[in-house]
Parts: sequence; structure tokens; C-alpha cells
Amino acid sequence: MRFDLDLPAWKWPFYVMRHPFEGFEDLRWKKAYNMKVAMVIVALFFIVSVCEQLMTGFLFDFMNVKIFNVVPIVIQSIVLFFTWVVGNWALCTLFDGEGTMKNICVNTAYALVPFIIGKVVNIILSNCLLRTESAFITFVSYITILWSVILLISGMRTVHQYSIPKTLLFMIITILAMVVIIILLVLLVSLFQQVYVFVYSIYTELLYRFSNLEPTTLILIFIGAAVVLVAVVVTAYTLFEKYQLKKEMAKLRTK
Amino acid sequence: MPSIRRIAACAASAFMAAAMLCTGVAYADEPYDGYNYDWYGDPIPSQNGYVVEKVVTGKDIGCGDLNTPSDMFISDSDEIYIADTAYSGTLDSNMKGRIVITDSKFKLINAIEYLDFSEVGEWLKKREDAMNAGTLDQSRYAKETSVYFKGPTGVFVADDDMIYVADNENERVVAFYAEKDGSGIGYGRVVAVYTRPEEDVFDQTQTFNPSKVLIDAAKNVYIVIDSTTKGALVFSREGEFNGYFGANRVEKTGEVVMNAFWKLIFTREQIIRMQRNVPVEISNFDIDSDNFIYTVTETKNSETDILKKLNSAGTNIFVKLGFDTYTFGDFLTKYYRGKTYSSRITDVDIGENGVINLLDLETGRIFQYSNECDLMFIFGGTGTQKGTFTTVNAVESLGNNVFVLDGRKNSVTIFGRTEFGAIVHEAITLFNTGKYADSIGPWNEVLCRDSNYWWAYVGLGNAYLNQNDFETAMDYFYYNSRGGYNEAFKGWRMAFIRENFTLFAIIIVVLLAAIYVISSIRGRQRAKKRAIADMLLREQQKKEE
Repeated sequence: MRFDLDLPAWKWPFYVMRHPFEGFEDLRWKKAYNMKVAMVIVALFFIVSVCEQLMTGFLFDFMNVKIFNVVPIVIQSIVLFFTWVVGNWALCTLFDGEGTMKNICVNTAYALVPFIIGKVVNIILSNCLLRTESAFITFVSYITILWSVILLISGMRTVHQYSIPKTLLFMIITILAMVVIIILLVLLVSLFQQVYVFVYSIYTELLYRFSNLEPTTLILIFIGAAVVLVAVVVTAYTLFEKYQLKKEMAKLRTK
Repeated sequence: MPSIRRIAACAASAFMAAAMLCTGVAYADEPYDGYNYDWYGDPIPSQNGYVVEKVVTGKDIGCGDLNTPSDMFISDSDEIYIADTAYSGTLDSNMKGRIVITDSKFKLINAIEYLDFSEVGEWLKKREDAMNAGTLDQSRYAKETSVYFKGPTGVFVADDDMIYVADNENERVVAFYAEKDGSGIGYGRVVAVYTRPEEDVFDQTQTFNPSKVLIDAAKNVYIVIDSTTKGALVFSREGEFNGYFGANRVEKTGEVVMNAFWKLIFTREQIIRMQRNVPVEISNFDIDSDNFIYTVTETKNSETDILKKLNSAGTNIFVKLGFDTYTFGDFLTKYYRGKTYSSRITDVDIGENGVINLLDLETGRIFQYSNECDLMFIFGGTGTQKGTFTTVNAVESLGNNVFVLDGRKNSVTIFGRTEFGAIVHEAITLFNTGKYADSIGPWNEVLCRDSNYWWAYVGLGNAYLNQNDFETAMDYFYYNSRGGYNEAFKGWRMAFIRENFTLFAIIIVVLLAAIYVISSIRGRQRAKKRAIADMLLREQQKKEE
């Protein structure tokens, strides 16, 4: 461990990358967890994933995407990253893990750096190489993935102060937790979709009923109705509360 | 006096009416929509390469209605032979089927209704002896020597006009010359009969119902029977059984892989009880002028070996090369109005310049490929209109026409090539004969008419690649052909590096020098820092002392 480390925040990910085992220890010791840098890395991860789909050379573009769609890439990069963070935090706090959400987030982001660099290198290589030279691309991607996985294991171990087997076990369980989180998310989204469809069908119904009204007026009426509804509920609740209070007071007084 | 405006209006309206009338006359829509596939494998609309010219029935030929015809063949002398499978004649109640022979304009030449065995007396005698000795079944003898056909399903004509007919229910293939007797009824002067092989190689429990027949240049007889998966049966000219030819491979499905895994674990008895994985039997074939045999497999569930081009050793020449695979028929299985459609290729025909026509029983479509397996046109369909079919049985081509035999409508549909079709054919022929530069013109014309025509881009790319114009070739190959782009890019990269070698060399040298200089400067800085730190430490230690 080097105690005389005095690096600016943006240099830390590269330092950690070059020191897979003690880098995270230094980070922990120096309390140099920087959320801004982590978010920049996640954003870069997303941008590089987009670039991978758009800029990979034709010879190595095996995705065969005719129409570009950004939503799957958002899910594959950003959503996946945050589910990992949340899942890992939710699990490991229950099992003596010392990591806070912020520390886990930063460590995971820093561990992604080699993977992102590998992707960039591959995008460049895929525009320069022939099909027969694809071994280079495979080599780069394997090496960087391996590197990232090692960093991730080391980072998780350090942030939770676990032993290596325990880290590995909890990483696997985290993946299961991610699956659960994603299933719940999908459920939530589909539920909200139903709510949306319900509201929208009422709106269209009203549109047909009051066809003399402008749609904008109708929306205003709709919002007004919603506000009135909320107001009624709130006032009813406050009245109910007051009534309860009064009852309590009466009880106290009788005592 | 009518104003000028009114005159102009009248003239304009008259012109418009005339134009509408003209288009109404010239506009002949096909009952099917032309389409083709792009690089992604998605179907996209395209122009029709073939349109219906005429539909010919038995009455048009002048031989009475056809009844479930199942095969058609066009000989080298441009005569058309139709195997009229379920025809029931007036000669005998036992007869079923005949061979109708017409010229290329579908004018009747002859209709073979019975056979004459007088020239093969020796063979007849042998068969009779075998029957008397008890080695030959009496019913089989009756079938094999029957003077009438019984459901002939295959016909082939050798270059000396000898007709080979797969007489399905009579369990034989007869070879004969067409003749006419005194009363004008056609008959066949039989020269040879090929019957069930007696050798042990042929499983004697199997049925022997020849469905298609083919002759190669050495006059070997190839017979397809439905009951074997080992390929076509090959007979020598003299009628000796020589073995099998062109068996399909077993498709690597999940089940096959699982079975291979279980075989590692199971005991011998269990393995014997296991269901065997057998390939799908071949269903039809054709031979081209270079003596290559093309086989097709009529199946819904298999992707392997749908079309094979076999050399004389039985090896498939159309094999997967590199990253590009061959797919025949429709790429996708389609579900439409309660029915699933997926291609079942039932017949193959090799036309001029090695053009391959495949006939799809399921959708009634004809898929036309060049001799290099590039999909050119898709036409036809199912239905009752002209140009659509119910049960397609055979496809043949002659010149610019494609003939399709429908076994349910009992008719032959003649497709003629459109102008677009002619241009595509010209381009592909020029290209495949090596005249790359000449093919650029036709290919550009194709693109003018249908900018979605995938192979035009590939053809243009190849043409420019051949002229070492790598950049243009790359433009044409981009998202059209990975293999072609690879070649073009290889050339372009080589040229680029060669032209800019000095620049690259300078950049590399400068980079190396920069790295060396920067690292030495940083090293010195670090050393300085460390020296200062050491000094400070030492001073501190001194103070403490």
C-alpha cells in the first residue's frame, strides 16, 4: 500500500486499473470514492455501447441490425449497471458487507474501465482488419473482459471486506438478485402501462362524448378533475383526522 | 365560338382518357407479387422476372383431359413428355397412365398407351423361368411384364430419344422407343426393364416403387424410391444394381445431439432400442449438360441438403463456404390465415446457362437461381387464377420460358420472361462467363428498374473488384456481401498502406521518439521528487535525533 498517493480524482480509475489488487485498498484507505467520475464512466459505457452498434466495421458487424434502437442499449448498459449496484448493496448489507451504495457504485464503475477501453479498441480494429484477422479482436475482447472481471472481484472484496470465496458466492447471488429486480421492474412497468391505458381510454371516451370540446380544453378539464379528486380526498382525510383527534381529546378529558 | 380555354380543356380531357385507356389495355397484373430477399434475409417487393404467357390443358394439346399428371420432361430435341399418371384409357380397364409427347408448341406428336415386349423376349423368358422356379412372385411377374402402365410418376428421355418411365405401381422402370401402330395408337417398343434389385444390399422388406428416374451420360439409370433414405438407386445400363447415390446427411437438430450424448451412456441393448436418426429421402433430381446431378429434398422440417449439386462421386458441390451459407426456398416460415407455410422443394430443373429452377409445393412458387446459387426471381403462388397453382408437380424450362405442371388443375402453365428478367439474366450470364466489365451496363440497368435488387449490388461490386477499383467495389459491397467486401477491403488497405508508407513510417518513428522523451523526462522528475522527499525525511530524522 502506498500512503503517499495524492492523485486527482480522474486519475484514480486508471491507477486502480493498473493495480488490480491493492488499487481498491488504496482507494478505500484514501477515501477517494468519487461519484462524479463513476457517473462519467457509466455514461462512457453507454456511449461506447452505442458506438459499438453504429461504428463497428461491416466485416465484424454480426448484429445485423437494420433499424437502430437505443432502448436495448440503455437497458444493457445503464439499467444493468444500476441493478447490479442496487442488488449487490441490498444483499451484502444483510451479510456483513461494509460497502455503502456509493462505494459499490464507484468500485463497479472503476472495474468497467478495461472493458470500455477494450470495446473502443475493438471498434477501431474492426475497421482496419480483415475477416481472417479476427483473432486479434477476439483476443482483445477476452483479455479486457477477464481484466474487468478480476477488477470487479477485487473491488467487491475490498468494498465489503469479504474473503475471496465469499465475494464470489455473493457475486453469483447478486446476479440472481438482479434477475428478481428486473422481473419486478418489468411487472411495475406493465402495471403502469395498464394504468396509462385506463386513463387514456377514459380520455378518449370523454373525447367522443363531448365532441364539441377542444382536446386541449378536455385535457385541462381532466387535470382539473384529477386535482379536485385529490383535493376531496385530502380534505376528507384531514377532516377524518381532526375527528379522530377530537375523539381522543374527549376520551382524555373524560379520564 | 368556343374559347381557347375550353378547347384546351377538351383536348386535355381527351388526352387523359386516351392515356387511361392505354394503361388499361397495357396493364396486365399478375396474381402474385414479385419479391426478392435482401442481405438481411428480409423479403422485399421486387419486379416480376416472369409472367404468365399461356395455360395449356390436355384439350389444347389434343389428347383429351390429363388426369393428375405428375412429371414433365423436355428432351434435347425440344419435345415435351408428360407422365399422365391417372389416365384411364379405353384399351383396357387395367391401364392407368400414359405418356403424352408433344412438340415445343404443345402440339400432340404421340401418346404412349401400351408397351410391346417383343424385343426383350430373352428377358421375358428369364422372368418366366424365375417365376416357375418359385424365386419370383406371381403377382410381381404380372406387374413387371404388364403391357400397360400403372401410375407412371417419372419420365426421362435420353439423348437418343429413348424414353425411361418410372412405372410406380408396377414396380419397374421401362426404357422404350415411341412408336405408332396401325390404328394410330402410340405404343412403346421396350428395350430394357429395370426391376427390384435382388442383391442383399437392397433390403428385401422394402417396397420398390420408382417415383423418378434419370439417366447420366454413361447411360446409368438413377431411380428415386420413396422407401429408402440411402439415396437414389443406381443401375447399370444392363440392369445390374450398383448401389446408392447421393444420400442426404442427418440434420444437426437438438434431438440428434441429445441422442449422440445418450449413446455415450447407454448400454448396447438400450442403444438398439433407441430411435434412429435417419436423413430425409431425396425426392427428385435433374442432370445438367456437364453431367452433374442435382437432387432436391421435399421436407418442411429440414434445412440441410435441400438442393445438392453432386459430382460423379456423389459429393455435394454446393457446400457452405466460409461465412456465407446457401438457403433455398423461402427463408422464413410464415403463418397466414390458420396455415403455416414453409418451403417444400419438390422439383428441380437446370435450364440454359445452368439456371436452377426450384419448385415449391407448399407455396406453389418457383425460385430461380443462377448457376452460382444467387436467387434471381420468385414467381408463382397458390390459388386458382392463371399463374397460381394448387398442386405443383414438375418444372421444366426451354429457352426463355418456364413450364410448370399442376397435378390438380391438370394443366401446364407457361411463364415468359419479362424485360427485367432478360436484363438480369444477361447480367448474370455475362458475369458468370467472366465478362465482368460488360456486366456493369446491365447491372446498372437492373438497379434503375429495381434499386432493391440485391444481387445487382453484389454483381457491380464484383465487376469493380475485378477491375481493381477497390473503393467503388467497397461501396457496392457495403451491407450487401461480406465476402466481397473483405476482398475489396483487402485490396484497398494494401494500396493505402503502399501509397502512404513514408507517412506511416514517419508517424511511428515520431511516436516512438515522443514516448522515449516523455518517459525520460517524467523519470527525471520523479527522481527529483523522491530526492526531495528523502532529504526532507532525513532532515526530520536528524531533528528528532
